[in-house]
Amino acid sequence: MTTRIVVVTSGKGGVGKTTSSASFASGLALRGFKTAVIDFDVGLRNLDLIMGCERRVVYDFVNVISGDANLHQALIKDKHCENLFVLPASQTRDKDALSEEGVEKVINDLKHMGFDYIVCDSPAGIEHGAIMALTFADEAIVVTNPEVSSIRDSDRILGILQSKSRRARDGQEPVKEHLLITRYSAKRVEEGEMLSYKDVQELLRVPLIGVIPESESVLQASNAGTPVIHTKDEEAADAYQDVVARFLGEERELRFVNFEKPGLFKRLFGG
Amino acid sequence: MSKPIEFKAGTLPAMSAVIRELDNVRLSDSMHTMLGGLGEFFAGEATVIDLTQLVKVPDRADWVGLLSLLRRYGLQPIAVRQTPEHLIDSARKAGLAVLSSDTGRLTGERAVTAPTAAPVPAPAATAVAAKSEPAQASLDMTPPMTNASTMIIERPLRSGQQIYAKGGDVVILGGVSNGAEVIADGSIHCYGPLRGRALAGAQGDLKARILTTSFAPELVSIAGVYRTFERGIAANLAGKPAHAVLRASTAGQQTLNIETLQLD
Repeated sequence: MTTRIVVVTSGKGGVGKTTSSASFASGLALRGFKTAVIDFDVGLRNLDLIMGCERRVVYDFVNVISGDANLHQALIKDKHCENLFVLPASQTRDKDALSEEGVEKVINDLKHMGFDYIVCDSPAGIEHGAIMALTFADEAIVVTNPEVSSIRDSDRILGILQSKSRRARDGQEPVKEHLLITRYSAKRVEEGEMLSYKDVQELLRVPLIGVIPESESVLQASNAGTPVIHTKDEEAADAYQDVVARFLGEERELRFVNFEKPGLFKRLFGG
Repeated sequence: MSKPIEFKAGTLPAMSAVIRELDNVRLSDSMHTMLGGLGEFFAGEATVIDLTQLVKVPDRADWVGLLSLLRRYGLQPIAVRQTPEHLIDSARKAGLAVLSSDTGRLTGERAVTAPTAAPVPAPAATAVAAKSEPAQASLDMTPPMTNASTMIIERPLRSGQQIYAKGGDVVILGGVSNGAEVIADGSIHCYGPLRGRALAGAQGDLKARILTTSFAPELVSIAGVYRTFERGIAANLAGKPAHAVLRASTAGQQTLNIETLQLD
């Protein structure tokens, strides 16, 4: 198959881009696709922590672009799945180190190495790093929290995607957009404290690829350096599995979006 | 062998800025109100500063300030027309060509006021035409738009995006998000939620309208008459098909009415 490039982006920070990139890329790899995940957040570097490979970082994305290292040296093989490779960001360089030609070369080299998917984990904001992350995208997963400022920023980044991506600039078929809603609390929606996923989708008018419930285990998994998708019997993990399935064209009904009042048994003995 | 340089007579289309008060502060305020503080409202059009309707002739003029004011909105001033005698020197020094309305070559300006009305005639013919209708054309704020083309936007207009349909209508098929802005010299037709800012009749066309299948804008404006919705939109209009239109009130003033549309 030809390589597909997927950017995970949001505009706003702290909505769960890196968490989603890690779980989504892991999910693709678990399905047998050779996948690379690139951290574009040059200067901050989070992805390697969430993937649990921070101690194995020797060379990074910027080293490859500047020619100090080759891709084989910089790519870190994931410890959880066979087909997944991480290209970490540099913590010591600034974002301008990402030149468009440099990024393009790295992506083309990855294509030649036979990768099925390249997942680009975008930094927050609409600055250079974020633009570079979306420039070469074929598809985009726009991560949004059910909250107005996050929705507004996602809307902004969708506009940028449709004007600054290569596909837009070359007049090709537009980047395929997917909406991923994270940190969703069905309980708070029920109580009228949070926008529902339907409201969010109505505002952004982008096809929904999944809703990830707010969950303690996401934080625990991040701290442990294991993408949450690997956690057993966990709603957020199952929700990410559904995202990957829908991305690959399978039909999956939305889960974890309806609040069920805890029954007597659960209230007495805890959840 | 081709010559490295050639000189040819020609006409060029240009915008005409009819200035009635040569006072940069007043002009700045007025432009801010009219154009909503949009930087780069225009797209670098060549502009003739037209002083034929000047109300009061000042003793001196701050050309440099005026030029930078016009440039701030994306206009490219190239000449000044009907300059009072004592301001000619300073205008030339500021780098403007000085045109006079009855003897000067006004071909450029003729082409401006009716950009699509007629094929550009030969210079001689134009000069005659200009003489017969002095400055009248530039008085008219709403030039006839004969074959004005309609701009069609097939994608949603997202937050931070802005489009300007110059000289005609715009049709938006994907809706306008909060924080997006659509401006048209003609009418705005929005099939989908209109949640951003919509400014129709940007050149002063009082007959322009804003029509949408789902009314929820931050601001609507027709020919500079605008309305915001700080306290929310009336329940009978919010999210419903509606149009905004200017209607003359009994006092002769234009008021901006928002009316529901019956679509089925």
